Amino acid sequence: MSLRLHQIRLPLASFTLEVDVTFDQPIAGIFGPSGAGKTSLLDLIAGLRRPVAGTVQIENETIFEAGSRLNLPPRLRRIGYVPQDLALFPHLNVRANLVYGYQSGVPENELFSLGHVAEVMEIAHLFERNVTTLSGGEQQRVAFSRAILSAPRLLLLDEPMSSLDLRLKERLIPFLLRIRDEFRIPLVYVTHHAGELSALCDEVIVLERGQFTARGAPPDVLAP
Amino acid sequence: MKTKALVVFVSFLFSAGISAAELTVHAAASLADAMKEIGAAYEKESGDKLLFNFGASSLLARQIEQGAPADLFFSADEAKMDDLEKKDLLLPETRHSLLSNLLVVVVAADATTVPKSVSDLTRPDYRKLALAEPQSVPAGIYAREYLQKMGLWDAVKEKVVPTENVRAALVAVESGNVEAGFVYKTDSLISKKVKVAIEISAAEGPKISYPVAVLKSSREPKSAKQFAVYLAGPTARSLFERLGFIVAK
Amino acid sequence: MTGEAWQIVFFTIQVSALSTLLILPVGIVIAWLMARRDWPGKAVLETVVMLPLFVPPVATGLVLLMLFGRHGPLGSILQNGFGIDIVFTWRAVVLACAMMSFPLLVRTAQSAFQEVNPRFEDIARTLGASEWRVFGTITLPLALRGIVAGAVLAFARALGEFGATAVVAGMIPGKTMTISLSIYQNIQLGHDAAALPLLFVSIGIVFITVFCGQIISKRKRPV
Repeated sequence: MSLRLHQIRLPLASFTLEVDVTFDQPIAGIFGPSGAGKTSLLDLIAGLRRPVAGTVQIENETIFEAGSRLNLPPRLRRIGYVPQDLALFPHLNVRANLVYGYQSGVPENELFSLGHVAEVMEIAHLFERNVTTLSGGEQQRVAFSRAILSAPRLLLLDEPMSSLDLRLKERLIPFLLRIRDEFRIPLVYVTHHAGELSALCDEVIVLERGQFTARGAPPDVLAP
Repeated sequence: MKTKALVVFVSFLFSAGISAAELTVHAAASLADAMKEIGAAYEKESGDKLLFNFGASSLLARQIEQGAPADLFFSADEAKMDDLEKKDLLLPETRHSLLSNLLVVVVAADATTVPKSVSDLTRPDYRKLALAEPQSVPAGIYAREYLQKMGLWDAVKEKVVPTENVRAALVAVESGNVEAGFVYKTDSLISKKVKVAIEISAAEGPKISYPVAVLKSSREPKSAKQFAVYLAGPTARSLFERLGFIVAK
Repeated sequence: MTGEAWQIVFFTIQVSALSTLLILPVGIVIAWLMARRDWPGKAVLETVVMLPLFVPPVATGLVLLMLFGRHGPLGSILQNGFGIDIVFTWRAVVLACAMMSFPLLVRTAQSAFQEVNPRFEDIARTLGASEWRVFGTITLPLALRGIVAGAVLAFARALGEFGATAVVAGMIPGKTMTISLSIYQNIQLGHDAAALPLLFVSIGIVFITVFCGQIISKRKRPV
């Protein structure tokens, strides 16, 4: 899977996000301090924010082009998104949250059926629960599962472990690897914690004040 | 020398103020136009100032009972005046019945359906009839009593749109939101937007009588009595007649 | 309380309920537009919607009378096209109540929509939901408490409506007589004693209504 951001410009509050990059690894990491523009970057990939210039292509399909007014709406991009606050729908139970992304009935692909995903992510026993009563780790897994069940071709993760302690983080990493291996969904993983990236990412890009300043394998980029 | 002139000047100002009275007159809505004209003439002649409060006689009587400051009450029926007399709010010797009026049925000036007799009003093409509130306002009571006498009240009462006073009934007919209405002949003469369909003769219709009296609570009884006398005098009478009122002999 | 008085009470409740139901669809749409969209001239619409809250009620009644009278722009269409009378009928009462309570509904519903975290709507979009589906399954359910509270407020306002109703519907016994109009008329006629039972009933109804509205809006779901 390749995700290409070509000459993207998006003015933010105190600086402009300007990126020109191609992601083609199964798990790409974006590392940067708070306020560097990471969330805005994910938003524009998902189609929730609109750059003033540039193009976005995924698998050679152009989903956004500033000049020609081409802007595929989020619901047609098939890009899953797990935001920092998870945004689990509080008025729906776990099952209803999970199947929200089912477009027309149960998917033909057994891989993305509710039962299989729930088994892999170990949340089958939580179906009838109200999402607000779940633990941090359980909520995280439900949020991942919900995104997976919409059968996306790319999954964006914004600080997915930020509210978890070290023990839970270690427990969650295998699940992310399962997403890569079992469901074969490429991930773009954004965080300001270096440790998570080392464990997961094939490649890390550093974002500072809207600009990419470094790129490479985790040990090379994150060492100092 | 200067102070003496100042004292004379100031007392002149005061005396000019003292001799001119300010009278508050509560008068029935149907008298509005007549009283404004008569009032203007009287103000010039007497130097007194007149303040008018026009409305349904029932409402005005109620306000007087509640203590609204007024010097004279000019009602559209005797009943309201009786109420005040019973409550000892009048100077009874000043009470006189001055005017009468006629009841008419009006329709909009451009109306195509025009009733020829009052019984026509029971027809279905007359959907709404404007009357002043038939339980309390004189114009409404007169109209209701007449319709009851003709045996038509039960047939038309469903169509009645009660208005706050007789002028509001006139406006309702003018606006076209009702098919016809009962007002005084004097009201119909004022408006170009309505035409008289039926005039109810004095013989057939209710006994309409407009009494005037000075109120006990008046702070200017002398000036008030003076105005009451003026209202019965020749200038006022000819003005009332010109506007269509029937003047009592 | 006489039979006639009870008829007045039920009539008032009926027209208030009907007027509230009528303004709900339009009110919700406008509230959503105010909360989620921006466009040049939005402030104009906001002001127009709020007007009945501040303009003297009798003035609003006059506007309705001019628009919906038989010779008015809207009234003549209804008259000539459908044979429907508005002024001096129960429809005018519903119209006056609807007009006067509309801003309350919109304001409350707008707040309710604004309180819905737009992030939920965004995520729903990424999960493939169309704008209608986002509205129906995410925005509306999450704003529902506030919308219901707004409807209750509108209902309470309609119950007490007087000025506009008096002008455009008149005080026709059995046809347009609401609790407020009846109390006023009794005062006019000097029948204060007759007004008292209606007074107490109307206070009672409004108390219950507003109380329920408070309970509904206070019971917050953890978000």
